[in-house]
Amino acid sequence: MAAGAAKPYPQFWGTVGMRPARRRPGVVADVDWPPGERPLRVVVVGKGGAGKSVIAGTMARLLARRGRRVLALDTDTMPGLALSLGIEAPATPPLVDAVDKAPHGCWRLKKGVGPVRAVQRFSTLAPDGVRVLEVGDHPTIDVKSVTPSVQAFYQVIHGLPEAKALQAWTMVGDHPAGPRQTVHDWAPYADTLLIVAEPTWKSALTARRLAEIARHRDAAVIVVGSKVRSAADVERLERMLGERVAATVPADDAVAGCDRLGVALIDHAPSSPAVRAIDGLVEGLVQGRLAQVATP
Amino acid sequence: MKIAVAGKGGSGKTTVSGTIARELARAGHSVLALDADTNPMLGISLGVGPEETYRMLAVRQGTDAMPEHEHTVEGMIEAFGTDAPDGVRLVIALREAHVDPG
Repeated sequence: MAAGAAKPYPQFWGTVGMRPARRRPGVVADVDWPPGERPLRVVVVGKGGAGKSVIAGTMARLLARRGRRVLALDTDTMPGLALSLGIEAPATPPLVDAVDKAPHGCWRLKKGVGPVRAVQRFSTLAPDGVRVLEVGDHPTIDVKSVTPSVQAFYQVIHGLPEAKALQAWTMVGDHPAGPRQTVHDWAPYADTLLIVAEPTWKSALTARRLAEIARHRDAAVIVVGSKVRSAADVERLERMLGERVAATVPADDAVAGCDRLGVALIDHAPSSPAVRAIDGLVEGLVQGRLAQVATP
Repeated sequence: MKIAVAGKGGSGKTTVSGTIARELARAGHSVLALDADTNPMLGISLGVGPEETYRMLAVRQGTDAMPEHEHTVEGMIEAFGTDAPDGVRLVIALREAHVDPG
């Protein structure tokens, strides 16, 4: 990689009128958590159709069933996480009521609305007690209508690492397809990046690039093989990636079935191989025993 | 003709686009295949191979010391493109320059 690789994408913050907060571990690191009780701060990334939303949504529900307070964060303007959690997507972007226009023309959170207030007021309740904050859908073809919500959301997530009131909360984020939001630091709360990859070249190259981008930030990077049909599939994916696959979710007709019905996998097929595998993934994360991608 | 292919992630946009491009080239058309995805994987479906697909993506991001800007369309086709089978020219057309999602 070329010189200056430590900050490869420096020029993008102007569009939201702010820079991201300087990285530090956040308030989660201020507590000496008992083994297996540290709140997870995870974001799920990968190529389109790899299974990000299903994995993120099911993980959030399973973590809530384990007694954790869970905040699910969907930064995709084409929301799929809501479906995987088992709720309807909001009709309008939830944060549009939380913003006003700053003098420099960007939208910002209204006075008195911090990240914690935004989560309290504008998140939705999903089954098992999961709270969901969504950036929201384009209500019309007019992209401008979602911009205030997008910019407010960006400010909210950058406040989450330091949000004392949410210190014990587990956070699970779902990114849109591709590397874009990872590049632009759309998950500053996350100390773990789950890269979901199918054993196909398109998916593996996307994952390879995400792993490269992730090296510029201090998060643990874990690769999850998705739609895996055999041990040979895992070997193939590892070869394509040049990285270790830490956990797998099998190809499962139940996933295709719930996508067709528009219902959550965990409600539709709670004992399916995919849900069992995602529960294993959750257990591995809780115990901190999943292999990370090697950093150079 | 000018064709744009759109849809949800994983639904088959790239496979459809790549195959249409190859078929049109075989039918005698001069074909420019534009990958306007911030995650450009059209090279795979066109058949340029994974290593070249990955190299093209790095070229467009300016991460491997190549010039990041070109001022003419011809220059962009040259600098950010590669030759695919059947005479299709693949060009990586988009880079991540805006923080908003979508």
